[in-house]
Amino acid sequence: MTANFPDFDTMTPADFEKYLPDFFANGDGHVSTDPRLQTFLKNNPDCAALVRDLEAIADQARSLFEPVEPSDSVWSGIVDKMNQSSEDDELPLPAAT
Amino acid sequence: MDVQGLQMTQTTPTPGVFKRNPPIAGEAEAIEAAKNGDAEAFSKLYALHKRRVYTLCLRMLGNVSEAEDMTQEAFLHLFRKIGSFRGESAFSTWLHRLTVNLVLMHLRKKGLNLVSLEETINPSEDDAPKRDFGSRDLQLTGSVDRVALERAVASLPPGYRMVFVLHDVEGFEHNEIATMLECSTGNSKSQLHKARLKLRELLRQPEPSAPADGLREVAV
Repeated sequence: MTANFPDFDTMTPADFEKYLPDFFANGDGHVSTDPRLQTFLKNNPDCAALVRDLEAIADQARSLFEPVEPSDSVWSGIVDKMNQSSEDDELPLPAAT
Repeated sequence: MDVQGLQMTQTTPTPGVFKRNPPIAGEAEAIEAAKNGDAEAFSKLYALHKRRVYTLCLRMLGNVSEAEDMTQEAFLHLFRKIGSFRGESAFSTWLHRLTVNLVLMHLRKKGLNLVSLEETINPSEDDAPKRDFGSRDLQLTGSVDRVALERAVASLPPGYRMVFVLHDVEGFEHNEIATMLECSTGNSKSQLHKARLKLRELLRQPEPSAPADGLREVAV
């Protein structure tokens, strides 16, 4: 669903703040390169600075995807609980490979 | 939400997640063997996916101990339910959704009511981001330190952290998050924006002087 945006040429910083979540959600998530907003951002450097910061945060967030190794105790706990629940069929579980 | 029902639903693969999860050599065989009770195959699946599942739990919960417990729960759930995986989506996508649903259920049990996001996981006024468009002298310099961001994410209020991790870290779309959290798409957008504002605020604060080892536990 597309938000009903204000006039980009007469928009106030308050309007900008109100619609900023939608600006980010529409397009590729980079508000700073949205051609409709170039004039506004040029005339409102504080808003431009906010956009830059939020984009930097979103960009760096992707690096948090780097996987982290769980401790060995996690697998030990899984094996213990699986063996408890599998006593009937006596399913022994090996160490994780 | 019926976690078991949801997690067993074969959904359309999530583009953001799917891109990061290409087929893994030997995985299909391991899945089929694990369905037949092959313990070695299950341990292989654990080895293949433990980092992904654990990291997801860690990002969503912001706590090592809880993340380890939830990782255990996710794989125990997988052990019990793998027979219902029909291969209509990538296994990693399916396991990812299973884990997300378990974490959400865990948070609900802890009292975080995600059903009414706007009312219940909005942080208190103290936690809410400050509205300070000005003060350009404090703006970030266009780059964000990864460790500092990890620390800041871990300190976010749970509702903000949840939406931020699902969208910005895990790559879910707002409509998918809205479905998972049972809120509106607009609500998801709003929460994400508030989360980013809060992170900006946290990242502009001076570094704490606590020893690095002391911070490590929460730097997730």
